[in-house]
Amino acid sequence: MKIMLNDAPYEFAGETLEDLIIELDKSQQGIAIALNQQVVPRSLWCSTGLDEQSLVFIFESIAGG
Amino acid sequence: MSSLLIAGHEFRSRLFTGTGKYASANAMMDSITASESELVTLSLRRMDLKHQTDNILQPLQKKGMKLLPNTSGARTAKEAIFAAELAREALETNWVKLEIHPDPRYLMPDGMETLLAAEALIKKGFVVMPYVHADPVLCKRLEEIGCQCVMPLGSPIGSNMGLASRPFLEIIIEQSRVPVIVDAGIGAPSDAALAMEIGADAVLVNTAMAVANQPSKMANAFRLAVEAGRMAYESGLGERRIQAQATSPLTDFIGALS
Repeated sequence: MKIMLNDAPYEFAGETLEDLIIELDKSQQGIAIALNQQVVPRSLWCSTGLDEQSLVFIFESIAGG
Repeated sequence: MSSLLIAGHEFRSRLFTGTGKYASANAMMDSITASESELVTLSLRRMDLKHQTDNILQPLQKKGMKLLPNTSGARTAKEAIFAAELAREALETNWVKLEIHPDPRYLMPDGMETLLAAEALIKKGFVVMPYVHADPVLCKRLEEIGCQCVMPLGSPIGSNMGLASRPFLEIIIEQSRVPVIVDAGIGAPSDAALAMEIGADAVLVNTAMAVANQPSKMANAFRLAVEAGRMAYESGLGERRIQAQATSPLTDFIGALS
């Protein structure tokens, strides 16, 4: 399915937010996900399904003052 | 030197540090180690999906640092609340450095939006540390709604202009019942020492350490300055006066020669 990921179309083979993070091969540490403008708690990533209308933003912690 | 308590967390070091602007993660870690700081700030941004970013989180966590995510990039209360909620998930902490600056040129904090966001975040259970102008009225209002400390600026972020706001910082410190952490603009160890001497509870330093030719040496200088300033404050500084007051007793032995 095609979702919107960080403002760009993304072809996604999995089902849940957890699948997406695994597919992207990103560390699960220090990141947060918003689905349709709502922050999704880490504990719900494995049970939160995505569909064609999903707007996903993934954020990461970086250096800052 | 007495320790500092914020929201039940005890800090032995009164020097807080930022993690931005370092040439490398190693330089950052060396500098933080030399500073003996126990709290560091971090930011959040949209993940770069194409590149792997330097993992700075792991060494900081391994060192046992208290992580303070900021809401940098937020221009309104609504954006800051969203950023704080993301940060809580990303870093598993309910502490947040609330900063809202709509104008990227001077990065002046928006006091009205900050007060609104602070109120909402406190209701959501956050420990809110607001970065604000050295505005005694605003700082009092933030204290009254439940902020655990206030973080007034010395001068604009990254400007190295020191305590341009000194007279107002002194009012804030005198009035405040929550810790006052002087943030932004501290360009030299002497600025940090002065902030501590006038009674600030802590200072937050980033740019001055990160952009030094030898960051860890500068971090050590800041550590010494903060300790010296705090010790001087705790010892009780003498009053300033215009007239001289003799340090040696004025005896009349010279008069005995005539």
